[in-house]
Amino acid sequence: MKTSKRWLPLTFKIALLTFLLLWTLIPITWMVLSSFKPNDIITAGTPRVFFTPTLEHYTSLFSSGNSLWPYLLNSLFIAGVSTLIAVVLGCMAGFGLSRIRIKGKQHLAFWIISTRMAPIAAVIVPLYLLFRYLYLLDTHAGLIVAYLSFNLPFAIWLMTAFFDDLPLDLEEAAMIDGATKLQAFRYVVLPLMTPGLVTTAILCFIFAWNDYAFAQTFSGPSTQTIPIAAAQLLTQTGIDWGKLLAIGTIVVCPMAIAGLLVKRWLVQGLTLGAVK
Amino acid sequence: MMSPALFLLALITLVPFFSIIWMSFNDVSLMGGLAFEFSGLDNWQRVFTDPDIRSSWLISLIYFLATVGLEMAIGTVMALLVYSLTRGSNIIISLLLIPMFIAPVIVGLLGRFMLDPSHGLYAWLLNESGLFDGNILGSVGSAMVAVILMDVWEWTPLVALIVLAGLASVPEDTLEAAEMDGAKYGQKLLYIILPSISNILLVALLIRAMDAIRFFAIIFITTNGGPADSTKIIPIRLYDIAFRFFDLGYAAAVGITMLVFSIMVATAFTKLLKRQETSS
Repeated sequence: MKTSKRWLPLTFKIALLTFLLLWTLIPITWMVLSSFKPNDIITAGTPRVFFTPTLEHYTSLFSSGNSLWPYLLNSLFIAGVSTLIAVVLGCMAGFGLSRIRIKGKQHLAFWIISTRMAPIAAVIVPLYLLFRYLYLLDTHAGLIVAYLSFNLPFAIWLMTAFFDDLPLDLEEAAMIDGATKLQAFRYVVLPLMTPGLVTTAILCFIFAWNDYAFAQTFSGPSTQTIPIAAAQLLTQTGIDWGKLLAIGTIVVCPMAIAGLLVKRWLVQGLTLGAVK
Repeated sequence: MMSPALFLLALITLVPFFSIIWMSFNDVSLMGGLAFEFSGLDNWQRVFTDPDIRSSWLISLIYFLATVGLEMAIGTVMALLVYSLTRGSNIIISLLLIPMFIAPVIVGLLGRFMLDPSHGLYAWLLNESGLFDGNILGSVGSAMVAVILMDVWEWTPLVALIVLAGLASVPEDTLEAAEMDGAKYGQKLLYIILPSISNILLVALLIRAMDAIRFFAIIFITTNGGPADSTKIIPIRLYDIAFRFFDLGYAAAVGITMLVFSIMVATAFTKLLKRQETSS
């Protein structure tokens, strides 16, 4: 019923909502807008809303000597592989964990969730040492392992929550009809899991793509990801704002779109299944 | 089916876990090849006596209370506002959610861009309106406020999203009954809405609590702990110890104290989940 939702004077409500929308959207809009401005307009003392748009920052990003391509490919490859491994293994483990009845299951669950919650700064220290021993610094494999340290527990946990929501009757019915457990999983359970799998994959990819701390510590000249490209430009004296804002736009836009695509399952994903 | 994943997880989490414990009892040197030298409780004694660590924990506490507090408050208001909309709520919540998909490095970049003393839009607005005319990220006090607000900007939408999901479970008929009895909005909020989403609020709080100590990229990229160490939260301090002074043994001990905090949050989280299971 509509009336039960109405509260506060309407004008106040609209004003508050407008403020929150402006607060949220102004920085992003300003970044995207400014990435099409020539540098002298970006750094002008007074902000300019009207200007002749230019693509110069984007073209220079992909053509100049220090091109963004290697960074972009590193990001795609490292985030992609770590996502793939996390989702495949997480899906299998999630199914198992959801269906199994064993003693000490909650200890197992606790271990998984606490590895996921471990502070990045604390994980970096031992990993750095191990990677030095194993010659994994400045390798793609090293960063993939580092991202798995948070994406794998995340995927296991989340897939377990998604499988928990699926009634057992379906697989049981399939098995009564003569399917093996594996067949029931492959042909009955898995198709129903598509939203869960897609949500888990997109979130894992976003986490890996957005990481800065691990990449800053473990990557070298041949493995640097896009956030590192942004950070490098940012720490130079005489910041090239146009280029930097173009990188920012490239980092942000695909992830925002991907995230909103799974909006329906986002709450479940980001609360690790605690809220449905 | 679980074994490959659990085996891999054990490998990439337990090995570092035992390494960090072992490191914390050693003097680890990186200069001229790796060298371990057993140093007993030296690092641990330093963790508990170092005034720099103590001040970093204090700054972390302020940062933590301010960010999580503001995110919970504003996020709840945001959710109640969107919930009360009769149309357009779908598009509005989508727009409001965008910041949480943004890489923390880019949030830091945005902060630097908007607050740049010579051409930042927000710096210009503050300056023109006469509210603040200094270098925001370069002054003690205002730098802390700025990094707190950047975190709030990024993560308030997550709280709003969680609370909004909880609001869907508020009993409509109870609200209607209360309304017929003449209850005001404040009363409905206090006696019906908030109690029925209290569990959800707790989930939001725990999720934010764990992430607040997990990430540090925003500060890393904007102030890197400065000016005068005024924004040096504990992860930044740890990173300095490990990778600026290469004192990895000491960094390991500091890291373990952070782990203890996150394990406490994880314990609370799993307890809460269990309570939900038994109550539903």
